[in-house]
Amino acid sequence: MSGFLAVTLLLAAPLLLAAAGELLLERAGSIQIGLEGTMLIGAFTAFAAARSGVGPHSALLAAAFAGLLAGAAFAVFAVAGRADPILVGTAWNLVAAGGTAFSYRLLAGATGSVLEVRTLPPLAFGLPAAVLAAFFVPVVVDVFLARTRPGLALVAAGENPLALAATGGSVVAVRTAASVAAGALGALGGALLVLTVSPTFVEGVTAGRGFLALALVVFARWKPLRLVPGALLVAGATALQYRLQAGGSRIPYAVFLALPGLLALFALAAARGRGGSPKALGTPAP
Amino acid sequence: MSRESAARRFAVAAAALSAAAAALVGLALLAGASPLDAVRALAEGAAGSPAALGETLARATALVLTAIGASLAFRVGVLNIGLEGQFLAGAVAAAAVGPLLAGSPLAARAGLLAAAALAGALWVMPAAYLEARRGVPEVLSTILLNLVAAAGVSGLVRGALQDPGGDYPQSRALPDAVRLAPLAAGGRVTAAILIALALALFATLLLEWTPFGLKLRATGLAPAAARAIGLPRARLRLLAFAASGALAGLAGGLEVLAVTGRLYDPFTAGVGYTGIAAALLGGSHPLAAAVSAVLFAALGTGSSAMQRDTGVPGALATIVPGVLVLAVLAARARLARKAA
Repeated sequence: MSGFLAVTLLLAAPLLLAAAGELLLERAGSIQIGLEGTMLIGAFTAFAAARSGVGPHSALLAAAFAGLLAGAAFAVFAVAGRADPILVGTAWNLVAAGGTAFSYRLLAGATGSVLEVRTLPPLAFGLPAAVLAAFFVPVVVDVFLARTRPGLALVAAGENPLALAATGGSVVAVRTAASVAAGALGALGGALLVLTVSPTFVEGVTAGRGFLALALVVFARWKPLRLVPGALLVAGATALQYRLQAGGSRIPYAVFLALPGLLALFALAAARGRGGSPKALGTPAP
Repeated sequence: MSRESAARRFAVAAAALSAAAAALVGLALLAGASPLDAVRALAEGAAGSPAALGETLARATALVLTAIGASLAFRVGVLNIGLEGQFLAGAVAAAAVGPLLAGSPLAARAGLLAAAALAGALWVMPAAYLEARRGVPEVLSTILLNLVAAAGVSGLVRGALQDPGGDYPQSRALPDAVRLAPLAAGGRVTAAILIALALALFATLLLEWTPFGLKLRATGLAPAAARAIGLPRARLRLLAFAASGALAGLAGGLEVLAVTGRLYDPFTAGVGYTGIAAALLGGSHPLAAAVSAVLFAALGTGSSAMQRDTGVPGALATIVPGVLVLAVLAARARLARKAA
């Protein structure tokens, strides 16, 4: 059973990090549907850094830095530039998917051999520190949003940007900061995949996890602490599926794959009004 | 998404072209190849021979249809990001119904495509419902439906739709008599591209030149004015949801009927998202979107030849559309702010 629990936590951590960052950005009133692309950028950066000879912790840091830049770049288009974030995010996924595949081929050449990297060393319960730390991120985000002054400004940017602007706040600055943080967290999530689960990079290594994280934010109805049960449920279902597959069970595999999307759709349908989404979600800054 | 003046359109096109050229040259140099050689290999690989051109057109069909679907939806103000899922729903319907259809090949094809279009339209309905009744942004629900559709395909090709004659996760092949035959012997291009281009023309005529099209556009451009003059906003939006879903579903059906002959997993490498990119590049004008889609398809076919001949990774074909769209979005937003 401990094996099952460890696998669940390991699979939940990247989702939690990415979803917590996306939640911050959406609470600030923007939205990055190119989260999958940001995770890919993090995964590739961690891989490239680790291949260059630095240790796994430095690789993680490198990915976070790439994520900061990615978040800033997104903000240049979708926040300061006022282009529709949904459309920027769609293009973002193309650029990131193509860009990481392109770079990987330049780095690895045309050889089909698998290039492995060193994984993060375990700290407790056979899990690395970064995986365990991921579970505190939603708590930090929750406290930040509810109890700090910048957190309140962020919520204002997402609920009533005009009011924030009227009181002298800068909606663009707040959303840009949120985007930078979201970029770093998303990239860290992607990096964890390479530095824990499968110690190599392949094209599309994130396998839809960015979209799962988007679904989790909806499922959590934009409340940080609710991300934890959501991520555990999805990761647990995936871990269970591995176990059942190994045991030769014939429970339809698709049930597990479809679970996050279905859960989030039901959460939207069951919630009142706009499902709890921030009022100014996706609207340009005043 | 709005109508633009000629000068603005020119400025946007110039921004997009220079960004794409810069990306092409930069990426070729990064890969240590001569940009000129890379572009030559790309162009020859995409359209340098009848076979290459046929491959490009075969690849373009699904992209053209999803691009028209996205354009129609965007012009009415419906942000349908779920064309990927609707494409899959259409492909599933085609794979499910195809082997069952009896009678003449023509009737079987019509039945298959009707089922595919219907499946695509049905797959978007939860999003339309949640938006109309609850105000849930369709962006969120259509992305979620994409996830569920991808999971569904993955399960079906290993379950109910799996070919009983093999161990592979794929559906039964369509009978040869039903599949669309190539227009030229030995080629890959079929009548499917003609269907797609005809629909692009039809959508353009409907949207740009008919009173009904004006109503559709007004719903997207000026919702308040449209309501004030008594346009049935809810019904027009529902129609836009359904039509874009049906077009994406048809794309999935035609992919099975004309290209793959069966369903497998994963069945799409992002045709729904690239279709959206084509629509954006075309300013959500169906005909311009269709041209962009053919261009993206050409990039896709040409890039394999480019990778083989010059060593520049073929993933360039995914980067360039993204860069083009980012440039267009940035230029449009900038011009809009200058005007305001």
